[in-house]
Amino acid sequence: MSNENVLLSIKDLHASVEEKNILKGLNLDIKPGEVHAIMGPNGAGKSTTGYVLSGRDGYEVDSGEVTLAGENLLEMEVEERARAGLFLAFQYPVEIPGVSNLEFLKAAVDAQREARGEEAVTSAEFLKMAKEACKQVNLPVSFLKRGVNEGFSGGEKKRNEIMQMMLLQPKLCILDETDSGLDIDAMQVVANGVNSQRDGERSFIVVTHYQRLLDYIKPDFVHVLADGKIVKSGDASLAKELEEQGYAWIQSEPTEDELED
Amino acid sequence: MTEQIDKALAREYEAGFVSAVESETFEPGLNEDVIRRISEVKGEPEWMLEWRLNAFRVWQEMEEPDWAHVDYPKIDFQAISYYSAPKSMKDKPKSLDEVDPELLRTYEKLGIPLVEQQMLAGVAVDAVFDSVSVVTTFREKLEEAGVIFCPISEALHKYPDLVKKYIGSVVPTKDNYFAALNCAVFTDGSFVYIPKGTRCPMELSTYFRINEQNTGQFERTLIVADEGSYVSYLEGCTAPQRDENQLHAAVVELVALDDAEIKYSTVQNWYPGDEEGKGGIYNFVTKRGICHTNAKISWTQVETGSSVTWKYPSCVLKGDNSVGEFYSVALTRGRQQADTGTKMIHLGKNTKSTIISKGISAGRSNNSYRGLVRMNPGAEGARNFTQCDSLLIGDQCGAHTFPYVESRNPSAIIEHEATTSKVSDDQMFLCQQRGVDPEKAVSMIVNGFCKEVFKELPMEFAVEAGKLLEISLEGSVG
Amino acid sequence: MSEWLQQAIARADSIQDGFSDQRAASLALLKDTKWPTRKTEAWKYTPLRAVERTTAVAKEEPAELAPVAIDGVDFLELTFIDGQLISLPEELPEGLTVEMQESTLFGSIKPSRHVFGLVNDVLAADVAVVTVAEGVSIAQPLRINNLLSEGSEGHIRVVVELKANASLSVIENGEGYGATLATAFTEYQIGAQASLEHYRFALQVDDNVAIGGCHFKLLEEAKLNSSIIGFGSALQRIDTDIIHAGEKADAKLNAIYLLDGQELFDLHATVEHEVPNCTTEENIRGIAADRSRAVFNGRIHIHRDAQKTLAELNNRNLLMSNKAEINTKPELEIYADDVRCAHGATVAEIDKKALYYLQTRGVSRSQAQLMLSFGFINELIDQMPNEALAEWVRPIIRDRFAQMEVK
Repeated sequence: MSNENVLLSIKDLHASVEEKNILKGLNLDIKPGEVHAIMGPNGAGKSTTGYVLSGRDGYEVDSGEVTLAGENLLEMEVEERARAGLFLAFQYPVEIPGVSNLEFLKAAVDAQREARGEEAVTSAEFLKMAKEACKQVNLPVSFLKRGVNEGFSGGEKKRNEIMQMMLLQPKLCILDETDSGLDIDAMQVVANGVNSQRDGERSFIVVTHYQRLLDYIKPDFVHVLADGKIVKSGDASLAKELEEQGYAWIQSEPTEDELED
Repeated sequence: MTEQIDKALAREYEAGFVSAVESETFEPGLNEDVIRRISEVKGEPEWMLEWRLNAFRVWQEMEEPDWAHVDYPKIDFQAISYYSAPKSMKDKPKSLDEVDPELLRTYEKLGIPLVEQQMLAGVAVDAVFDSVSVVTTFREKLEEAGVIFCPISEALHKYPDLVKKYIGSVVPTKDNYFAALNCAVFTDGSFVYIPKGTRCPMELSTYFRINEQNTGQFERTLIVADEGSYVSYLEGCTAPQRDENQLHAAVVELVALDDAEIKYSTVQNWYPGDEEGKGGIYNFVTKRGICHTNAKISWTQVETGSSVTWKYPSCVLKGDNSVGEFYSVALTRGRQQADTGTKMIHLGKNTKSTIISKGISAGRSNNSYRGLVRMNPGAEGARNFTQCDSLLIGDQCGAHTFPYVESRNPSAIIEHEATTSKVSDDQMFLCQQRGVDPEKAVSMIVNGFCKEVFKELPMEFAVEAGKLLEISLEGSVG
Repeated sequence: MSEWLQQAIARADSIQDGFSDQRAASLALLKDTKWPTRKTEAWKYTPLRAVERTTAVAKEEPAELAPVAIDGVDFLELTFIDGQLISLPEELPEGLTVEMQESTLFGSIKPSRHVFGLVNDVLAADVAVVTVAEGVSIAQPLRINNLLSEGSEGHIRVVVELKANASLSVIENGEGYGATLATAFTEYQIGAQASLEHYRFALQVDDNVAIGGCHFKLLEEAKLNSSIIGFGSALQRIDTDIIHAGEKADAKLNAIYLLDGQELFDLHATVEHEVPNCTTEENIRGIAADRSRAVFNGRIHIHRDAQKTLAELNNRNLLMSNKAEINTKPELEIYADDVRCAHGATVAEIDKKALYYLQTRGVSRSQAQLMLSFGFINELIDQMPNEALAEWVRPIIRDRFAQMEVK
């Protein structure tokens, strides 16, 4: 496999949380423009994957390699990874009262533009961009003035995440169970937002427990994550199979954890 | 509703009887001679006498503290007798067979059978009657494990080096007024030593009983858990129903060396005085433990007795990664006053403390939580969580919270929360509508309120504590 | 007893001829009062060395100073300079009166806790009495300026009475330059169904020693919304007392302290629920950096009759250095059973989850820390009812953070 054409490369990644092994040899290559879905039962390590890639404290990499556009991701600080083009849309975005959404977005955009050597946008220009992004994800402009995610409903928080993605223009987006807690209408808004950002270059990892989101965001590949590694890969039809048969057939052999329990 | 609660609260003090045990009791009064006599009766080494006399001088220079949220007439320290022992104890009984049957009956009546065959297997008891230890059970079995469990007066003879090394090392003589008094006049108490790496094979328990009139009880407990050892220790107390106030000023010192764990549980049921506040025990107690590296001390207390309680079982978290816990239920009724809580002093890195305090006030009582959480500059990464909940039953009582929070380390995290609530009419109505009588309903609600603390008690004590609350609340519903 | 206090008493003695009975009584009490020490509960964490060592003296002639201008707010100004009343508002709206009186003190300041309340009783030359007539709403905010020039000492007392159904907004603005010493107490009586919007700022403080307080008495259905924002100095001590004396009164207190250097700030907030059906909400937030020391004491006292009280206090602190110190003591004293009371206090670091979230968006760790600390304080500024004042204070707070960050 040639490295040139790979955006994200994960090789034999082992990671643990509080000394408990969660990822146990994860391998995954993603090329520009591809959409990969990662599915799997609860506790398989789906969310952990996003946290490890983004560099969250407490998520220790024990071994393995990860590169993003050829750069060693694991050596970077959290914000350096973001500036290198990694974006994580959270399952449960944190509320930050007192810090306005607009202030937050501007700080993020400024930091990333500076890192890319781009010119800073003026406050007026930025406000225009932000308002436009609000419109695209169907959030009232008044949300820009409110504290980050403060008092937002579940759906509003998810749309706020997608709006940030639009403004930050990352190379790789990881959507961590973005569909959880959303009704069909809200899911469609989110999916439309994501689809509008598919430009043949930007890649996506869609982490989800259910198949239904994949009706709206069509994946190129579907991987099943169980007990910390990918146990099966396929195309979109694999998701359908999972929908019909559940995860049990994948896990015909008990996992280590289950044996321990 | 309130009326019902009041009725439910009126109850008999079941441990209020007096035992007809012949005693040898000092005349009331406190001076150096009295201290010399105590030391002499105990046949103590010279250094111990000096230690006592020094404490007495220190005490004379000190002032009685007045900061607690309690109100009581000035104590006349000259009206108290500082030593009382059953006559039958004079020639130290060698075995249970030689113990005065009246004494055994007393403990039996209190639900503490001292005859080993009848005892709860797995609990060794030291029974302290007025000023002396009358019996310590299961000693041989403990000795096999290398565990020392004996009256502290005996330990002074048998293990003088151990006692000398640790006594006063956690609660220094000058610590406070009542601790200084205790240093001068303490008469007995328990001594425990758990050797390195030993898990004490059974629960250790001391049962304190004040019987004689006009006596004070000044016991002193010292528990040393050597490296990597574990012990669970239980303490219970009762006193007869008398019209005069009696003073109980104890000191408890716990030393948890590296990797050791001490679990100390108390069910305190001293006579609380009558409905009008006549009589009852003044319970002024200093309890403190020191935790070395990776050690843990857990205090659990259920306080239902005493007319005045002044008590703050504390932890000095000296070693890195050490853990201190304080779980408390304090129930006051009638005219009882309780000012109780804890101090968690964080010195070491990554030290952790948890404080759960449940105060229940009824009648015309006052119940205060007073606590201190201090993070010293060296307490890197330390954590404290404190939850203080008060339940008020009736509109004539008081519930108070006085937490001191002091932080000098930016990486330390302290969280303190306090709430107050009442037994709501809705809760009562629901229970009654389902056919539960009001008394049972209150006791259910209170038990639920205290659940977090009860689950920390050893099994035998949890049952006792639950029953005690039930008795305390009998006839108390509104 | 301290030398400073002896001198204060001597000065009072020399002017006592015209004293009202009340001031004479205060003087007698002052003479019996013990100088607070570490063992005095109300001063446990706040040493009075700065008072004992002050070089500030009362000046004959007040200096020329002007209070800070605030864009977008047109105040009625009541200005004291170096302890002397310099200007009254020129034209008073109808229903508002301001006069100087010698004898009127509400006397709500507890001498047992506050020796400086007594000092102020006897040394505040005149008491400014502000009255809003029944049913009158004053649209223009009243600003009470207490300005002290380098090296000067001043004692001011203002009494504000809102009659029934009246409303008023008051800004207490303390400014001290260099080493000064001030005691400034304001007493408010908020009549039935009257409403007071209140601010107290101590943002220009240098090496000031400033001791004072705001005392509010709320009658039936009165409303109070108070915001206190202070920086530390040699010594800043503010006592706020809120007394619910009429049923269904409602009080809200937000307070912020931001400390740096070797500053000291001590806020004592007491709420007395004397009657049923009143509500109190208190939010107090503080940050202590460098070698500063913050002290907070928040007492809520529910009297026997005060059934159906709702009272909540929340105190959150950020400690930014291991030479700084935060001491907080929220207290509940409750004598009524059908009440809902709670308090919470935390001392902690910046929320790690929020820090991570900002970093995943590319914001640097240090900038994220700054944004979050500012946000922590800004949350309360956002709640200030007067937006123009909020706009004014926000950049001042930002500058303060920027300074704190440099060290």
